[in-house]
Amino acid sequence: MRRYLRFAVMLAAIVALTALAAGCGSSKKSSSSSSSTNSSSSSGGSTANASYDNGSSQKGGTYTVGWEQSFGFTDNLDPTGEYLGNAWAILSNLLVRPLIGYKHLAGAAGNALIGDLATDVPKPTDNGLTYTYHLRSGVKFGPPINRVVTAKDVVYAMNRLADPKDGAEYGFYYSVVKGFDDVVNGKAKTISGITAPNNNTVVVHLTQKTGDFNYRMAMPATAPIPPEVGACFEGKPGNYGRDLISSSSYMIAGSAGKFTSCSALKPFSGYAGADGNHLNLVRNPNYNQSTDPYRKNYPDKFDFVINSNADDIFNKVQAGQYDDEESSPSPKTLRKYGTNANLKKMLQSNVGDRTWYLTMNLTQPPFDDIHVRKAMNYIMDKQALRLAWGGAIQGQIATHIVPPVLYNGGLSEYDPYASPNESGSLQKAQAEMKKSKYSNGTGMCSASACKGVLMIGDTRALDNRMIPVIQAAAKKIGITFTVRQINGAYTTIQTTSKNIPISERPGWGKDYADASTFFNALFTSGAIIPQGNTNYSLVGITPALNTSKKLGVTGDLNNVPSVDKPIAACNAKLGQDRINCWEGVDKTLMTKVVPWVPYLWSNVIKILGPNVTHWNYDQFADDTAYSLVSVKK
Amino acid sequence: MIFYIARRLVWTIVVVLCVIGITYVVFFKLPAGNPALRFAGKSPTQQELAQIEHRLGLDRPWYIQFGKFAYHFFAGDQYGWPGLGYTYASGSSVKSLIFQRAPRTLELIAGAAVLWLFTGVAIGVISAVRRRTVADRVAMGFALFGISTPVFWLGLMMLYIFWRRLGWAGGAGYVSPATSFTQFFSHMILPWITLAMLYAAFYARMTRNNLLETLGEDYIRTARAKGLTERRVILKHGLRASLTPIVTMFGMDIALLVGGAVITESVFNIQGLGYLAINSALTQDLPIVAGVVLLAAVAVALMNLIVDILYAFLDPRVRYA
Amino acid sequence: MTPPSDDRLLLDVRGLTVRFPTPDGVVQAVSDVSFHLSRGETLGVVGESGSGKSVSNLAIMGLLNRNRTAIAGEVLFRGRDLLTLPPDDLRKIRGKEIAMVFQDPFACLHPMYRVGQQIAEAVTAHEHVKKDRAWARAEELLDHVGIPNAKSRARDYPHQFSGGMRQRAMIAMALVHNPAILICDEPTTALDVTVQAQILELIEEVKREFDIGVILVTHDLGVVAETANSVMVMYAGRIMEYGAAGGIFTQPQHPYTWGLLDSMPSVDRRLEALVPIEGAPPSLLNPPSGCPFHPRCPYRFEPCATERPPLDVPAPEAHLDACWLSWDDKVRLGVERAKKVAA
Repeated sequence: MRRYLRFAVMLAAIVALTALAAGCGSSKKSSSSSSSTNSSSSSGGSTANASYDNGSSQKGGTYTVGWEQSFGFTDNLDPTGEYLGNAWAILSNLLVRPLIGYKHLAGAAGNALIGDLATDVPKPTDNGLTYTYHLRSGVKFGPPINRVVTAKDVVYAMNRLADPKDGAEYGFYYSVVKGFDDVVNGKAKTISGITAPNNNTVVVHLTQKTGDFNYRMAMPATAPIPPEVGACFEGKPGNYGRDLISSSSYMIAGSAGKFTSCSALKPFSGYAGADGNHLNLVRNPNYNQSTDPYRKNYPDKFDFVINSNADDIFNKVQAGQYDDEESSPSPKTLRKYGTNANLKKMLQSNVGDRTWYLTMNLTQPPFDDIHVRKAMNYIMDKQALRLAWGGAIQGQIATHIVPPVLYNGGLSEYDPYASPNESGSLQKAQAEMKKSKYSNGTGMCSASACKGVLMIGDTRALDNRMIPVIQAAAKKIGITFTVRQINGAYTTIQTTSKNIPISERPGWGKDYADASTFFNALFTSGAIIPQGNTNYSLVGITPALNTSKKLGVTGDLNNVPSVDKPIAACNAKLGQDRINCWEGVDKTLMTKVVPWVPYLWSNVIKILGPNVTHWNYDQFADDTAYSLVSVKK
Repeated sequence: MIFYIARRLVWTIVVVLCVIGITYVVFFKLPAGNPALRFAGKSPTQQELAQIEHRLGLDRPWYIQFGKFAYHFFAGDQYGWPGLGYTYASGSSVKSLIFQRAPRTLELIAGAAVLWLFTGVAIGVISAVRRRTVADRVAMGFALFGISTPVFWLGLMMLYIFWRRLGWAGGAGYVSPATSFTQFFSHMILPWITLAMLYAAFYARMTRNNLLETLGEDYIRTARAKGLTERRVILKHGLRASLTPIVTMFGMDIALLVGGAVITESVFNIQGLGYLAINSALTQDLPIVAGVVLLAAVAVALMNLIVDILYAFLDPRVRYA
Repeated sequence: MTPPSDDRLLLDVRGLTVRFPTPDGVVQAVSDVSFHLSRGETLGVVGESGSGKSVSNLAIMGLLNRNRTAIAGEVLFRGRDLLTLPPDDLRKIRGKEIAMVFQDPFACLHPMYRVGQQIAEAVTAHEHVKKDRAWARAEELLDHVGIPNAKSRARDYPHQFSGGMRQRAMIAMALVHNPAILICDEPTTALDVTVQAQILELIEEVKREFDIGVILVTHDLGVVAETANSVMVMYAGRIMEYGAAGGIFTQPQHPYTWGLLDSMPSVDRRLEALVPIEGAPPSLLNPPSGCPFHPRCPYRFEPCATERPPLDVPAPEAHLDACWLSWDDKVRLGVERAKKVAA
């Protein structure tokens, strides 16, 4: 008898505990809609938080950055192939000086080009086909090279970009240079269109007018590389990263002495590789501040340290052991900093030049019908999607393809699918749906093609929050999804033969401050490739293309709209003309093609440590402006 | 005996190679996409992609790649012996990466193992001897806690209480004992306890159960009849007989932790082998994954062998079988 | 039987009662058992399993868990009551002055220690002796109990010994400190017949050589017949009959003893003459009222079910028994039985 009694008591206890736990769980509030009014103002590029200043900028100290999990470098910091945005911030602020550079400020000021290694930003001659750059004198490489930078070093870097064995990842930007593709195809050893008539001049000849060419010469891969060291790493992409020779104000710790031979060259101790856990930079002793009007170079050292525990990173930032972080603050951290009067100013939020969107495949039902695509834009609850990201502090709700900051503020009021509170409009969506062949005039997507549509999502907590929002909205117009969540969804949606109808995963950021970096890779037919494809919607695809590139796309390819011509026209233009042209392409895409449902222009949020005395946001790299920060210690 | 060991060693090598082979199959058959894409930039041409694949050796079928790996392992490569190749991500030598991180993981395991073995067995003995008293119930309650608590929660709690609030121990992060032994200890003590907690709980329960069973054996009665002190009876006669399954378990637990202490390494920012392996798997960097798997497989097979030998050493009945 | 009041008396047990409380009730394992043992005496304790014969001896040795057992009565050893001794004092006597040998020598020796080691351990348990000295003593004893090549066999493990040799080793272990009393609990049950005889002989030799008292517990009357000086028959935790061995065998007084003798196979009886005792031993949770044997007794009559017969001597020439039958009936029935056996 006693035994049964004991059992009954235990059972009751278990039931009670479960009920308690369930009660506690269900009463969790939805993540705080932050009361912070940090949503950037509608004029693009809010400079509200662009800079932080605590009065005393001084020379000295070590600026420590806690970096989450792993560096994630795409080419081990080797500038020829390094494509990671956070790596660009380090390279262009501290380690290398391409011909053209930036002031590393926020907003429009930060997107304005300046001469870095070059004395100024040249205008093209020869009907827009020739660019002549004059190098500053007195710029020296760091140890172990120690000599003056010459034009030949720039030419060498460009040739390295062209050689396919050296791992370049954005070489396609330089196809417009005469002779570049001959090197790529192995038909020539050097680029015929780039010459160094003397030690201080570089001349570049293009095959066509390219309005944003100077932007392309500001990318880290074009910065000078000493051939004597570069030769040690021919055909070994990434290895140069551990022996990177500085042409700027800082260098990798451990670079010392004189260079004798390739075999004597050991990796610098300050950087253990992309799989390593530290990157330590110290001042380049050969750096001449008088050649550089823009970099302030306050700290003596920069330490980038890997930390596998995100919680720990923010603890250390708050405690002052780290000054900055490469991580994403949890909602808890955002709340803590957002609501505490003392901490609020350490939370820096800036426009990130990045659009997040749902991508719809123009070849797959039901998205092969423009009315369905428009209805999706009308019905989507963008406010709820932003809430899933963490609320208003995460950025502005996106209403078209490219963030307004890239039009210098243009199209800031353009919202073709506006709805009250941006939560979606059932009435407008249904009105649009009625016009669709899939609806039988009911305003709901009723055909069988509307049910169980395959949607690919990723497996982050964020996707788990977004997917139900998307499903709920689409259901209102009769579309239901079969959701497949894949870890690393990009690979799947970038494979054309998989014919994915819709995905919530993608986002796209600029490579430099020109809308061409959006349109060319996202919406031209030339950009469509079988693997690694970023024209997810397959805008401009034709049956011939499908066959010739072996894309494996199914569905009706005969009526897919194309924007190849307008984009090609804009590519040649310059100045405000060019910007207006891009704005037109944006509008065409949003009204006549409708490949996306854009929903967020995300901010870049940085939490600073208490020892930081000055901080700037670098609009070019969408990261910390390391060349301008100051720390006390 | 020597022949037995030699035979076992050969068999170990075969097993390890099979494990690596399976790793290769899994890596290439799993639908995670083409690793070359990661290093190809935003919009690679087919040509670029092909070049990267060729450079990384990805254009050959999996068994060729595996064959090359096996060959290099025995013959060495440009980085010396054993030849483990270079990583996709940075071209660094896998061997140097692993050798650099292995000591951290080994130190973590060693400290935790000592802790859990002694604590677990001690608690188990006390529990068995004071069966059904308050001490026993508390001990088994602790065991339940230790087994049920998720390691990451425990680690974070430890950090919060003992580092943030009380400041008794160092925080996350690793300091090499060569640099400063006190710092090393203060940073390792919490990870040791966190990692040991789960195992100590298991071992406490196992010891308790084994010991209780053993204490019912006839030779225990004989030992008491001889007039031995109760302490001698329990420790020398009882524990000795109960320890053999525990020793076996101990060997395997240690071996499995070589690549497996991922959560503890992650929470305490120790940057050891487990963490390296997971990161590399996520970034599809096969050479590192293969290297760590190799190390772990060797560790398991070796510990297996050691435990078998130890077992024969401990239990004479097995020796002449 | 009143114990002889001389200095040869070793053990005087009075009214020993052992009860185990269990969730299902109280198990009355041993009830009111009294006996004595002198030097040079072998007391055979006979009974089925569950009769309480082993438990009584465990109680004497103090091997029962005091927290979970209720033990009453007196066990006087050399004037001291073992039941009231503090545990440490009792431990000092155990293995030194009173030693016990158990039934299954294979399970009774620790499988992971060498035989010599275990015997040497018995030495150092009570004496501060150096290891090699203790080991030498172990070899000596092994040799004494008749193990050939004692020196090298001492280094063997128990699983390398045969059954008989293991039992010899157990006896050697018990003899380490020249105990005054040797309790043997079913020492031959696990051995085959030829080895049995050797072991019994060894025990007898040891008894004579060291002039000790031996309690020999067994369910086999045949074993007792060879070596015992006195015999105690137990059933359901109580004594049924107790007296000199000769008397028990020539003039058994209790129906249970008759049943035991009748069911015992021996070389000179025909198989058909074997008569098993009907029924099964009673539950010790709820022992029968009155005489515990009455449900199975062919001779039960009116008082047996309700009144428990006391253990006393029915006639001056008789020995102790616990049965309501009259002396005349006992004699008559005994004679009848003898005739049947002879036939």
